[in-house]
Amino acid sequence: MEEVVGKLWDKWLTKQVSTEYADASVELADIQSQLIVFYRAMGGDASKTIELAEPRKLQIKRSALQKIAGSHQYFMLCWQDARSIRLPPYVAHFADKKLNENLYFWLVALAAHQEPINDWLVDNQAATIKIIARYPGLKRIYLSLSQTFLANRPTVNGLTPQEQKAEKQIRYALTVPGAITCAVKNKYAALPVPLWLYPPRSMPAMVKSKEGDEQKGKGKRRLKDIKEIEQRKQVEFVDDERKTDGLLVFQAEALETWTEQVNLDRCQSEDDDTDDVDTIAKDLDIITLSRHRKAKSASIRFNLDLPAEENDDLRLGEGILLPEWNFKQQRLVKDKCQLQTMLADNVKPVELTDKQRHISCEITRRFASLGLIQSKRKAQPSGSEIDLDAWLDDYTQPVKSSSKQNYFIDNTQHYRDVSCLILADISLSTEAYINQEQRVIDVIIDSLMVFSQGLNQLSDELAIYGFSSVRSQHVRYHIYKNFNMQFDSHVRGRIARIEPGYYTRIGAAIRQSSKILSKQGSTNKVMLIITDGRPNDLDQYEGRYGLEDTRQAVIEAKNLGLIPYCVTIDKKAHDYLPFLFGQNGFSVVDDAAQLPLILPKIYINLTKH
Amino acid sequence: MKNTCYYQVQDDEVEIFNYCVEHNLPALIKGPTGCGKTRFIEYMAQQLDRPIITISCHDDLSSADLIGRHLISADGTYWQDGPLTKAVREGGICYLDEIIEARKDTTVVLHSLSDHRRELHIERTGEVIQAHKDFILVVSYNPAYQNVMKGLKPSTRQRFVGMSFTYPKAEMEAEILEHEAKIDAELAQSLVKLANDIRKLTDIDLKAAVSTRLLIYAAKLIGSGCEISKACKHCIIEPLTDEPETQQALERVVNAYF
Repeated sequence: MEEVVGKLWDKWLTKQVSTEYADASVELADIQSQLIVFYRAMGGDASKTIELAEPRKLQIKRSALQKIAGSHQYFMLCWQDARSIRLPPYVAHFADKKLNENLYFWLVALAAHQEPINDWLVDNQAATIKIIARYPGLKRIYLSLSQTFLANRPTVNGLTPQEQKAEKQIRYALTVPGAITCAVKNKYAALPVPLWLYPPRSMPAMVKSKEGDEQKGKGKRRLKDIKEIEQRKQVEFVDDERKTDGLLVFQAEALETWTEQVNLDRCQSEDDDTDDVDTIAKDLDIITLSRHRKAKSASIRFNLDLPAEENDDLRLGEGILLPEWNFKQQRLVKDKCQLQTMLADNVKPVELTDKQRHISCEITRRFASLGLIQSKRKAQPSGSEIDLDAWLDDYTQPVKSSSKQNYFIDNTQHYRDVSCLILADISLSTEAYINQEQRVIDVIIDSLMVFSQGLNQLSDELAIYGFSSVRSQHVRYHIYKNFNMQFDSHVRGRIARIEPGYYTRIGAAIRQSSKILSKQGSTNKVMLIITDGRPNDLDQYEGRYGLEDTRQAVIEAKNLGLIPYCVTIDKKAHDYLPFLFGQNGFSVVDDAAQLPLILPKIYINLTKH
Repeated sequence: MKNTCYYQVQDDEVEIFNYCVEHNLPALIKGPTGCGKTRFIEYMAQQLDRPIITISCHDDLSSADLIGRHLISADGTYWQDGPLTKAVREGGICYLDEIIEARKDTTVVLHSLSDHRRELHIERTGEVIQAHKDFILVVSYNPAYQNVMKGLKPSTRQRFVGMSFTYPKAEMEAEILEHEAKIDAELAQSLVKLANDIRKLTDIDLKAAVSTRLLIYAAKLIGSGCEISKACKHCIIEPLTDEPETQQALERVVNAYF
């Protein structure tokens, strides 16, 4: 009974203090792909992506009811940094859905026109002036948004004179952008202005990358769960200044919530918190990270240590030095990466499983109609059609040769003349589970097995490589089949032995693959890249650096006359893959489990012309 | 016919072309689709008062399609000149549009015409024709569509005087729109700004950039009373992309201006 009443009370109270229009809410996920294109068209940095903003604490002056409800402490504010624009997961500020949608586009336009913020009030006005001067349509949108917003915004009644002054400034700045040049100082933060961008968080480190490490280490987390907690969390850093193990000197029940950070040595309990770590992360308002992480670093080192040489694949040669693109310097840094070619030795031959054989039959059937291309050869001694031109030419010759009567058009079929190099991402992230039974790497293995079988029957030249990396000096490039190897059960054996590990330095792998593929004599050279996420490695190879290097490697491949094509299972790839591969250079597979069936379809579309 | 072709001079292309004419040198024009390559040639033909013979190249274009072939009549067979031979005999500008679409073995027939010899060899009749004094060979292609399969052989490229075209500068493009579609300056400038915003998406979200030609289409529709957003949708967005989400985003960009 108590619980029911509590819930009802909570529902009623939340409704009383809520300033949102849930019915008119617009979800970011529904329009994200439009927003990123719009951002680029507005002149925004093409390498930036859109991410979810985290709730940020603003100390505003709250009403009594808001205090009781515990609301209006955290707000979804829009901000941006060099990596991405952070937008709220939904917007419900207005009763009209159209206005909520317009607000997203307005924020994105603002992000494209705003320099890094020095003065929140002044800079937002300056960017607004810039936009409304250039875009009459956006000016209309801005006016409707600002007017409706100001009409809904609480009045200045009940505020101290100083607070009133600050609030009036904001109202004036929204009505006449550019009018306020100096902000009034105030004890409380002003009510949030959703039409403006906020400065980046002072602490640049975000939880996501740390979370990524954990995910890679723990493996068995579901993609769905990860998505739920992907919304960024506020972070604070602390250091264990005492450098000693903590001891709780009060009763355990005095620990009220998870959000309290205590210097507690949890080294011994790392085994038992793996199951509910996601739930905890979701519940936390602030995640506290310590730079003093003796126990954690030990665990990470354990995960990332390279295997002993006798347990590892056979290393071929000393390693190949490859360049890497540094976008800050706008140049290729020579010999930045060392790529180690590896080959699994002592593999046992492997045959297709029943399931794989079933898919393989389906693929072979699809490939059957594709195998050969027709070409017309004129003036042939035999053929299916008469070549009137050839006959006429011969007829008009004063001296006729009786032995040379090439009057036919030969519609023979030729082999397709295609070389295909498959480059599979086998980084540790592919160990994530996509459903109860299968990991990402399992579907990649299945796809490689059945696809290579089908391609072999098509007589296209095929090579299969996999890659992962541990910093620039150790890019692991595994050969499963090169262009000269026969396709046999040993190739399948090598594919079956793929073990995910390490990180995704994709640029170096693409460069090496381009080198190999460009040496092929075929007319059409396709590089099919199968991956599950964006480029990243332990060093600076993440975010914009990784994207820019990958883009550069793709451009280099295209300049060599290759056709690089990316197949990904990352549903958010629409944000960054157009920048890397161009609009027609990639496919996003929604249901990862379907990859083995979809991959051949993609290949057919790619090579049938 | 005289002075009917409008062309907005962008740079020194007219001057360079006139030098080519003076010295009987063949010209190679590169540029994205719809940037005014063909219009430029029409304009020059008009300025020089020479006929223009345009050949659109394609995969199946054979050397016989260029040079000519024997045909059958009631009296037996007779030789029919192809467009290239006709231009060589009678003089005029022979314009091979999108030359890289033609097979490499087809374009080889141009070699003897495009160097100092200026003669065309017709293998089938054994004839060698010396080019007319007014004959000029002009070829064009779009570098964006070039790939390994379809590229000009270096030996072919090196016989031409090259000129690169691109979309006109904003003010010039607006003037072109004003003139071609008879719209007011403000609208023309907005359309050009819109086009330049959309061009930022080329090779990322769009395969090709919005061309001046498409802008003229849109401007013409607007000029004759079509709603601006509708004209932009059908003349700019639809021809550029099939992706519904990119289309919606582009509509948003249009709405930002109009």
